[in-house]
Amino acid sequence: MLKSEAYAKFSGAPLTVNTINNSWRAPKGDLPLLVSEDIVISQPAKILNFLRKQRYNADYDLSAKQGADTLAYIALLEEKLLPALLHTFWIEAENYCSVTKPWFASRIAFPMSLYVPGKMSREALNRILLTKGGPPLYSLTEVEAQIYRDAKECLNLLSKRLGTSQFFFGDTPTTLDAFVFGFLAPIYKVCFPRVQLQEHLKQLPNLCRFCDDILTCYFRLTVSGHSPAGQDTADANLQKLTQLVNKESNLIEKVTFASVSLILLLCCGYLFTDILAWQLQLYSGLYFNYFFSSELCCVERREEYYIIWKAELMKPCSKKVFLIQPKDHCLAGVHSNTRRSGIFTQAHIQQRKGGKCIGQNSENFLQIKTDHQLSLLSVACCSN
Amino acid sequence: MCNLPIRVICRANAEYMSPSGKVPFIHVGNQVVSELGPIVQFVKAKGHSLSDGLDEVQKAEMKAYMELVNNMLLTAELYLQWCDDVTVEEITHPRYGSPYPWPLNRILSYQKQWEVRRKMKAIGWAGKTLEQVLEDVDQCCQALSQRLGTQPYFFNKQPTELDALVFGHLFTILTTQLITDELSEKVKNYSNLTAFCRRIEQQYFEGHDKDSCTVSVQSSKKSSLLK
Repeated sequence: MLKSEAYAKFSGAPLTVNTINNSWRAPKGDLPLLVSEDIVISQPAKILNFLRKQRYNADYDLSAKQGADTLAYIALLEEKLLPALLHTFWIEAENYCSVTKPWFASRIAFPMSLYVPGKMSREALNRILLTKGGPPLYSLTEVEAQIYRDAKECLNLLSKRLGTSQFFFGDTPTTLDAFVFGFLAPIYKVCFPRVQLQEHLKQLPNLCRFCDDILTCYFRLTVSGHSPAGQDTADANLQKLTQLVNKESNLIEKVTFASVSLILLLCCGYLFTDILAWQLQLYSGLYFNYFFSSELCCVERREEYYIIWKAELMKPCSKKVFLIQPKDHCLAGVHSNTRRSGIFTQAHIQQRKGGKCIGQNSENFLQIKTDHQLSLLSVACCSN
Repeated sequence: MCNLPIRVICRANAEYMSPSGKVPFIHVGNQVVSELGPIVQFVKAKGHSLSDGLDEVQKAEMKAYMELVNNMLLTAELYLQWCDDVTVEEITHPRYGSPYPWPLNRILSYQKQWEVRRKMKAIGWAGKTLEQVLEDVDQCCQALSQRLGTQPYFFNKQPTELDALVFGHLFTILTTQLITDELSEKVKNYSNLTAFCRRIEQQYFEGHDKDSCTVSVQSSKKSSLLK
């Protein structure tokens, strides 16, 4: 949006800015939109092309090589800086909730204000993850770290390219200046709670000077004029509306959270009752029942084990060790002597002597979960 | 271009072998490094770099041009391979699925197609028609051509990473057989670009077939097309 406006100002095209409240009126929901007589154009690059064809050209004095450089730098901006910008505006939770969403919500009519910011946020996240989030970056935090690194590098490169001159190509602003301004101004001027990019930008004084120059010369503003830095909603009704919108969206979030947690709780409850039933069923009727029930309670409480379902109790050869071999994964082991339920490792089992029969009188393969790893034991039982 | 000996091997599962899921990647000793950026840094860490002679502003320009090439040419290539229905049916599906038996070949190529289309949609290229994509490629080639001018390489007399990248893309475009030749026609319009490709091919690729290998480079369909 800013790019188109800036370019129009640079080239002297007469342009009036209309803020649209209903973003569904735009043909495909895209803003910014240029309407000229009967022609409607929607993307910034195409808008710039259109203006150029109408002979409002800010690039007239550039050489061919400089034109090529423009394209290259624009590609660099879109590739490196845009993801970070999108992230700062739409994905960083604090920024989104305290600045972006209320601002957009206040400019868009209700109820679209509930839907559109969320949609734009999701699209931004989608775009970032699809273009930047492949392996080896697996988590969102790693992707975020990478895009901010890229963005800072990009800002450094821009600063080096600008050097001490007033605009990127000499003394008159061009398309590239419009694009750079369109990207930098929001970072520079909008006050976000989480501002690492802004701080980095402020360390590059020539870029700050560049933004300020354009703002004062072409937009005739001081700090927060009609660029979208929207905390100054002076209207009391508007403030109430934004608060209401926030409360509603918070409520919706709370309700979804509550329902999800309820469902999870129900699932866990089902799980535990199932396990309990299994235990009772399995160990009833065994003469060491009392032993098992008390020991197994210990097992559960320690939470060092998984209790698998539908296990079969192995017939013990001695009364010393009992192992429960499940059909799928083995889990709990109980030692009778010490009345302690423990995790058996292979070494542990092999140390025992005499009468320590584990499982059946044959080789068994058992999976036992220890504290940190799943180990597969082959257990040879001694005959008793 | 750094005078390092390499060997190119084609494998069907190259994408899975790579740590980041992308080709090309190199396998040196017990290290695997994928994608052009990290490969360049890896080679630089070992002491070979092509862009040492550039100053800061030129390095910035080089990075910008590399992004342009990646943005425009790579995306256009992907679009043409996966989003243009005719090309997809006739060329891409058979080629992508050729190492696998039916029905795996169809499933994998549809999966890849779906992935690429999703990405195109996210960056806004899904709504473009083929003509618009070709126009973008034309603009990109024009920019590259204007930057190259009459010089032998993009930055004076020495080749840099940008030259390698541009060569890779342009050579592939020029030598790949597609249904229509529009894409390669666009590139051929710029004679200095074709001369550039030819020069690099002669200089670096025709004398190195018999070198011994300490580094082996794995790459997928692109290099199979080069042969």
